[in-house]
Amino acid sequence: SSQLSSLPLQILLYVNGIYYIFYFLATLAMIIYKSQVFSYPDDYLAPDLAVLFLMAILEVPRLYLGFKGNLTEAEAPLGLSLGLTVGSVVLCVYLLLWQTYVLRADVLLNAVLLSAYGLESGLKVTAIAAFIS
Amino acid sequence: PADIHDSSQARVRSAPAPVTDVAKLCVCDLLVAQCDTNCCCDPDCSADDFSLFTTCSVPVVTGDSQLCSQKAAVYSLDVEANPPERIFKLIDRVNPSIFCIHATNYKEALYLKSPEIPTPENFDQLLDKFGGATFSAEPDSWNLDTDTPNPPDANETSRYEYGVPVQTEDAFLRLPSPVVSSWCSDANPAGFLVNQATKCIRSVSVEKCDSIQALSMLFYINSSILAVPKSSQMVNITVQSIAVQSLNGMRTLLNSSDVLRLPMVLDELCINAVLGVSYHITHTDTGEIIEAAAAFVLGAISKEALSVEQSFEISFTQENAQPVPLSGNPGYVVGLPVRAGFRPQGYPSPAAFLSNKHSQLTILQSTSTQDCLAAQGARAPVLFGYNMISGCKLRITAAMKCQPLAQTLLDVLKGQNFPEYVASFGNSQAQDVLDWVPITQLHISEQMICNTLQSSCQIPVSLGIEVKWTKYGSLVNPQARIVNVTATVTTTTLKQLPSGRERIIPITSSVVFTDISSPAEPGYKAWPTINIKLPFDFFYPFV
Repeated sequence: SSQLSSLPLQILLYVNGIYYIFYFLATLAMIIYKSQVFSYPDDYLAPDLAVLFLMAILEVPRLYLGFKGNLTEAEAPLGLSLGLTVGSVVLCVYLLLWQTYVLRADVLLNAVLLSAYGLESGLKVTAIAAFIS
Repeated sequence: PADIHDSSQARVRSAPAPVTDVAKLCVCDLLVAQCDTNCCCDPDCSADDFSLFTTCSVPVVTGDSQLCSQKAAVYSLDVEANPPERIFKLIDRVNPSIFCIHATNYKEALYLKSPEIPTPENFDQLLDKFGGATFSAEPDSWNLDTDTPNPPDANETSRYEYGVPVQTEDAFLRLPSPVVSSWCSDANPAGFLVNQATKCIRSVSVEKCDSIQALSMLFYINSSILAVPKSSQMVNITVQSIAVQSLNGMRTLLNSSDVLRLPMVLDELCINAVLGVSYHITHTDTGEIIEAAAAFVLGAISKEALSVEQSFEISFTQENAQPVPLSGNPGYVVGLPVRAGFRPQGYPSPAAFLSNKHSQLTILQSTSTQDCLAAQGARAPVLFGYNMISGCKLRITAAMKCQPLAQTLLDVLKGQNFPEYVASFGNSQAQDVLDWVPITQLHISEQMICNTLQSSCQIPVSLGIEVKWTKYGSLVNPQARIVNVTATVTTTTLKQLPSGRERIIPITSSVVFTDISSPAEPGYKAWPTINIKLPFDFFYPFV
């Protein structure tokens, strides 16, 4: 019996997990840097921090469901992970475009994350199609 | 008319818009419609003006340098060309840093906010927000509850504290004092435990002198003092004494001080006008006023006088305490007199030292005549920390006898009541015998050669008082403590002068304060030790 689990998706999910930890710490550090160097009032700082932490909270189940779905070749968790990916993409776009201060490093980090999400979504759709059929 | 109001509103509300175009900004353009020298961005300068410049004082005008890409206006002078001409370039500057601002969604990030122009409508709201000592970001939510009384006031109902104005029935106990100029201002409140003495000038006219309130005794004693702030307990101000000053300045104390003497016009003079008031307030040690007395000096004002000088004084004493002024608490304060006293007879039985306001350590005060024998006993108190030197000149004639001269000079140098003990701390009590330091007296003869006859008379020529003090107490708040006082009298032989000749010798007295505090030694806390002991029955059953 051939293996339906997608190896590229598994590798990408694993790398995504590691990259996300780096991304979260880097973005948090940059927000702290921005609040010290620039004028960053509290009612602009709060939404940015909220979005970052919400994205971190979403990432954990998203990656877990992705792993589980891919390894058990079940389409339901993978579908749920895809849904959560949409939410993460929205938050990532917010941090890329609508943050109070968008530094060049922010642009780089978010662009990489966005491309990872895009690639993941494509691979997930392919995997779901493989599992269903 | 409504349209004028609207147009004025429109005029008021618009502030000049900030200039953000880099090509149009010029920092060195200070003169209007004139060319500023060496200002390459000045639009008022023509090509002829540019040819006369030497450098560009403002070479680059850019926006915030933290942006990733921004426009920059670069001005430079091409000195090679003939005539020199200005080069203006508008370039895009790229910031290579990875932390440059790529975009910002916050309008005030890079520009100062235009302030809101006050109009009649928003004035109250702006005043609430910016009128206080600090700007509150959220003025509505952090307002104090106006129903409950202010918390800081709750503490001061029970007692007076240092500096708090002494309250009376209607307002405060007034101590008129000069404000800005020398004219009396009646709005100066007397502070609790703040001893003050003020002098000020009041304008008077003899015809209306009985209607001028500030000249009558009633003005100063009619309102009673509150014993504690905001209470209903009153303390009446009693008249302690009345002294009447005549026109030539002589004062007589009146026997009966019960009768209230009000100013009245008599023979072109205004008599019973208040020239001075001295308040004495007695208080308990819990900050409650129990007694108040006022001593008046009344005088007469002549018709020609347009103003009169009044002097006011207030002093606070604690009940059942002798008012001995302290020179520091506990260490000496620089500038306050060194306290001294005498050991009473009957030592070594522990008895208190005699120290009052008159037993001070004093040195000779130099007078304008500089003649020792005509010194008239002018002495200056020794103030802690102030090294002083003073002196006088002694004119010796042949007729002077040595022995009485020596005694007179010793009196001149030391004064009538040279004390025996000096207080170690500024607040040393007379009963604490150990807090007083004896004054060591030394006699030094100037001629150390022993071949001169000892029987020849020696006269003192200088007195040097050396006060050694040390820093005592904690390192952050050291207190000055006097450790040792030495009074050295230097004598010299008086050579017999041929008759008719006279000699002038200088007599000096000095006070020197020396700090002998040893430098602070660092102390380390003991290293923590591991305290391991075997239990006593460890070697059971062998031991």
